[in-house]
Amino acid sequence: MRSRLMSGVTRRAVLIVMGMIWLFPVYLILVSALRPADSFDPSRAWVPSAHLGLWSNIAKAWSASQIGQSLGSSLLYAIVAPVLACLIGALAGYAIVVLRLRHGFAWFMIIFGGTIFPAQMLLIPLFVSYSKANLYDSRLGMIVIYTAISVPFAAFVMRNFFTGVAFSMFEAARMDGASTFRVFRQIYLPLARSALTAVFILEFTFVWNDLLFGLTLTQSQGTRPVMTALAALQSDVYAGTPVPIALAAGLVVSAPPVLLFLVTQRYFARGLALGQL
Amino acid sequence: MWSQTLTNPGRRLQQAPGGAARQRRRRRAAPLVGRFRYGYVSPAVLLVAVLLYLPFLWTVYQSFTSYSGLGPMTWTGLANYRTLLHDPYLLSAIRNTLLWVAGTLVLPVALGLLVAVLSYNLPHGGWYRLPFLLPYAMSGTGVAVAWGIILEHGGIANNLLSAIGLPGGGESFLLYAPQNSIAMIIASTWQQLGVNALLFVVGLQSIPREPIEAARLDGASGWTLFRRIIWPLLAPLTTVVVGLALVASLKTFDIVWVMTQGGPGRSSETLAITMYKDTFVADQYGYGSAVAIFLTVVTGIVSWLYLRRQLSSRRAIGA
Repeated sequence: MRSRLMSGVTRRAVLIVMGMIWLFPVYLILVSALRPADSFDPSRAWVPSAHLGLWSNIAKAWSASQIGQSLGSSLLYAIVAPVLACLIGALAGYAIVVLRLRHGFAWFMIIFGGTIFPAQMLLIPLFVSYSKANLYDSRLGMIVIYTAISVPFAAFVMRNFFTGVAFSMFEAARMDGASTFRVFRQIYLPLARSALTAVFILEFTFVWNDLLFGLTLTQSQGTRPVMTALAALQSDVYAGTPVPIALAAGLVVSAPPVLLFLVTQRYFARGLALGQL
Repeated sequence: MWSQTLTNPGRRLQQAPGGAARQRRRRRAAPLVGRFRYGYVSPAVLLVAVLLYLPFLWTVYQSFTSYSGLGPMTWTGLANYRTLLHDPYLLSAIRNTLLWVAGTLVLPVALGLLVAVLSYNLPHGGWYRLPFLLPYAMSGTGVAVAWGIILEHGGIANNLLSAIGLPGGGESFLLYAPQNSIAMIIASTWQQLGVNALLFVVGLQSIPREPIEAARLDGASGWTLFRRIIWPLLAPLTTVVVGLALVASLKTFDIVWVMTQGGPGRSSETLAITMYKDTFVADQYGYGSAVAIFLTVVTGIVSWLYLRRQLSSRRAIGA
C-alpha cells in the first residue's frame, strides 16, 4: 500500500544516510582505538593505521587499570538497580493511572520531581549521610542510590504508557475476581514489555556509564564500578595514557551496553505491544 | 469513550467538588481499585523522598551559609543569593543553558521522532536504529576525542566547510560563544537521538491499528495520516520525551564537562557546570549550593508548567 509516510525504499535510504553520518564519530573512535599506541595524530585520525594495535592497547589498559575487578560490581549495579526501578516505577504508574489515586497528578509530580535535581548537587549530602549510615563503600548503598535515581524516569514512562491501555480490561479482570496485584502482574506488566525493555536498557546504560556516584560513594576495589577504573586511566589522556589505549579501554567497557542493544532488538518488533489486542 | 475519561487523572483533578465527592462515595461502596492502592505508589515515593529530596533540603540549608570545605560553616542568610544576582558569569551560564534547552528540543527530539517514524514498522527496523543507539553507549573520553578530532582547528569540520566553500573553516569550533555551545549541542544530538527514537518507537508500537486502518479506508495517507491520527495517539510518549529533554537540557553537564569543562574561560558554562565549579573547584560550598537551588527551582517550575498542561489536557484517544 502506498499510504505510508514515504515508500519503504525512501525510508530505508534516509535512515541509511543518517545512520552513516551517525556512525562516523564511532568510526573515528574505532580506528583510533585500533592503531598502535604511539601513532595517534588528531589531524590524520580518520586514516586507518596499517598496523593493528588493538590487542596490545587492551592488554596495556587492562593491566594499568584493573578494569577486570570492577566489571562484576558494575554488572550487579547496572542489572539490579534498573530491574528494581522498572518494577517500582511500573507499580507507581499503575497506582496513579489504573487504580486512579486521588491527586494522581500530585503523586506523579512528587516522583517525577526526583529528576529535577542536578546529580552534582546530591554528592555532598549523600557522601556525608552514607558515611553515617554505614552505606559508604557498600554494594547495597550503590544499588539504593542507582535505584532511587532511576525510579522517576521509569515511573514517567510507565505512567504514560498505561494511559494508553483500555480501562475496560482492568474492569473486566476485576469483575472476574482477580486482585489488583494479579491484574498488574498478569495483564499490565506483560502488555508493557516493550516499554519496560526500553526503560531497562536505557537505565542499564545510564548506571553502567555513571562516574559521579561511583567516584563519590565507593573506595575499595570490591565496590568500585568500572567507570571509575576507566576514568583513572583516561583522566590523564593528555598527560600520560596514549589516546589509543584510553579509547581501547573505553571500547571494552562499552561492550555490555552494545550487546544489550543487540539482544533486545527483537522486543521492539512491530506488534508486540497493544496493537494485537 | 467512558473508560478513557476515567483513566485520565488530570481530568479528574479538574472536576467540580461534587464530582470528587461522588467519586469518594463510589470508592467506599465498590473498591474496584482495591484498598491497598497507596501501597503501590509508596516504594517510589519513599525512595525518591529519602535519597533525592532530603539532599535537596540539605543543599537549601547550605545555600544560606558560607563554607569552604574546611573550618566552620557560618550562617550568612541571603548573602549568597545577593551575590547570585550580580554574578556576570551566572548570566552567561543562563544564556548558554537556554541555548541548550532550545537546541535540545529542536534537534534530538525532532530527529528522534523522524528516525522512529521511518523505522518502526520496517522489517528489521531495529538494525536501522542501532547506529543511533551506539553513541549513547560510548564513554565520555570517546565522545571528547571523536568530537575533538571533528571540531578542532584544522579538524574535519573545518576541512569540510572549506571544501564546499563555506566560511568558518579557519578555526576551532570550541573557542567562542555561542558557537562552542552550538557545536556541543550537535555532539549531544549525536549522543541522545537514539534514546528519543527508542521511546518514540515504544509509543508508536502501542498505537492501536484500528484507527489507522479506518483512516486509511477513509483515504487518509502520508502527512495527513501522521498529523491527524498518529501524532495525537503518540501524545503520551511525546510528553515523556519532551518532558525529559526539557529537564535534561536544563541540567546539561556531562558532555560539556568532557569537551570544554565550560571553557575557554567560562564561555561555554551551563548552570550545572557553574554550580559544580563554584562548589568543587572554587570550594565555595555555600555559593555553589545557591546556584544549585536556583537551577533546581527553575527546572522544577518549567517541568511543572509543561507537565500540568500536557498531562491534564490530554485528549486520550485510543483503544
